[in-house]
Amino acid sequence: MVKYSKHVKIDGGKAVVADGINNGMMKAAEKDERIIAVLEDMGFPGVGWFKENAPERIIECGIAEANAAVVAAGLAAEGFVPFIHSFAFAVVSRACNQIRQSILQDRFNVKLLGREGAWGEPGISHNHIEIIGITRVMPNLVIVDPADVIEAEKAIMAIADYYGPAFLKIEASPPPLKIFTEDYPFDLGKAYMVKDGKDATIIACGYMLTESILTGEILEKEGIDVRILNMSTIKPLDNEAVIKAAEETGAIVTAENASIVGGLGEAVATALAEYAPAPLIRVGIEDEFSQSGRILPEIDELKTHFGLGAEDVALSVKECMAKREALKKRR
Amino acid sequence: MAHDEKLIKDLEAKADIVRRNIFTIFDSSQMGHAGGTMSLVEIVTALYFHHLKFDPKNCEWPERDRVVLSKAHCCEAIYAILVELGVLSKDLLSTYYRYGSPLQGHADRWCTPCIDYSGGSLGQGLSFANGLAYAEKLKAIINPPSLKSAMPRFIRKDNPIYRVYSIVGDGECHEGQIWEAAMFAAKFKLDNLINIVDYNKFSLDGPTNEVMPLEPFVEKWKSFGWYVIEVDGHNLRQLVDAYDLVCNLYGDLKPKCIIAHTVKGHGVPYWEEAHTHIGRGEDISKGVQEGRAKYGEV
Repeated sequence: MVKYSKHVKIDGGKAVVADGINNGMMKAAEKDERIIAVLEDMGFPGVGWFKENAPERIIECGIAEANAAVVAAGLAAEGFVPFIHSFAFAVVSRACNQIRQSILQDRFNVKLLGREGAWGEPGISHNHIEIIGITRVMPNLVIVDPADVIEAEKAIMAIADYYGPAFLKIEASPPPLKIFTEDYPFDLGKAYMVKDGKDATIIACGYMLTESILTGEILEKEGIDVRILNMSTIKPLDNEAVIKAAEETGAIVTAENASIVGGLGEAVATALAEYAPAPLIRVGIEDEFSQSGRILPEIDELKTHFGLGAEDVALSVKECMAKREALKKRR
Repeated sequence: MAHDEKLIKDLEAKADIVRRNIFTIFDSSQMGHAGGTMSLVEIVTALYFHHLKFDPKNCEWPERDRVVLSKAHCCEAIYAILVELGVLSKDLLSTYYRYGSPLQGHADRWCTPCIDYSGGSLGQGLSFANGLAYAEKLKAIINPPSLKSAMPRFIRKDNPIYRVYSIVGDGECHEGQIWEAAMFAAKFKLDNLINIVDYNKFSLDGPTNEVMPLEPFVEKWKSFGWYVIEVDGHNLRQLVDAYDLVCNLYGDLKPKCIIAHTVKGHGVPYWEEAHTHIGRGEDISKGVQEGRAKYGEV
């Protein structure tokens, strides 16, 4: 029986992240009258609440993301807190230059909600695997990739309270496990230890925390005690948690539902190389584009294609531990 | 009622001072966007010295009119005005382009007081102005105490809390985003928004209408749902009358576009003939010399 931290309760149930986003958005909007919903013809989390309670706080910009991003900047300059929602490729990548100049340069309080992670049915255009790399290089931008329905809700509330630009990645599929309890204390910029362990550490974000938890259960049966860190805030990275994991377990595996180029793995690699060198394996999507794939009861086609399942992560953990032992011998 | 001749004369004198300040900037930096800055002089002179609701002693005044200089490479004209208004000290004119100077190469909201928008990458200012104008409408409806520049909770029918002036170049109207923004302003009936196009007919590679035809330009803005007026952008009487007119039309639920026909490099024959966009070294010094001969030194 795997022993998890206080705020984790795994019972096998699943829930889509979008439900948490909706709840969080409604609660935040109810609490803070400055919050404005900026739409790009892709709906909006909790839009029903806005329509009923504050229709004047809905701004529909249509499929014109460049304009929407800068309109949001103008609203923020006047003290409002605009949230923009669409596909990640639209809300962020389509408007990179607008976000850079009109939002980030002046650190305007605009929140970007980008849908679709690395896999799903829509295919190469929508499965935006490069999004973490693209956003990580932008100064002044906080990046959050929540792992489950509870964390998604709390993350929305947290970025609403935080003053400054933030990007939140919303993964549409597949649905993750229900991981956290209602009293889970989400702390923007801090990693949360889902499970302690001494043999190796998995640092995961977003959906891959689900696969990492399954990995922990596989490894437990083989007598390997793995630590699991939920690194939902990718930027700023919780360097202390990474250093501690490197010093106490000596082998790190990162797991992300995104390209390993510029992603969480690279952020962790930098922290390790600079502060606490330790063997590292990055699990994620190699430097390639995605494609369409279905999630069927018997097989998740893209998870299998990219090698992002729990068995794959488990193999990487064992490989990383072997690397650590080989290094010890050489020394 | 028409403005008297004295006002126009006073504004013309101010425009000459602004030009002299601009020459000081160019003379010290030996580089600058000469053409687009000179074409802008009367447009911003009429705006800042006559028309704008603006307090040089309080740049953060919540009810001040907002100015969004989308063609932010021509910030030299605004710097020259802010010096004459006493917002910036005169010594700063010679620090343009220097490290740590509040006079950055492109207008920067956090470096320079009384600058509302940080620009540089063209085509975005009108969208920002949209955001400011929409915010003005929102503040009349919702007014949480947490809003920094909170307003009394009532709607003034004859005047908005503040107006938003956006200044765009003709070259940047090649950007698709300008037209996204134009649709947005019309959709949300932003009658508190006034967009001024400095139509100087030239961009860096050549005549704007050869680089990518804009004409029929007036009809384009009209068809996007804007109220459009054309003026001679170097005629101060036409400019102040146009500003009065578009403000008096407040309540018509239409955004306003003033198309100001201008001459690139206006006032300095050398820059006018060369259609200078950005000048360096001799291009600048020759123009400054000519300009000073005509308008005098500071």
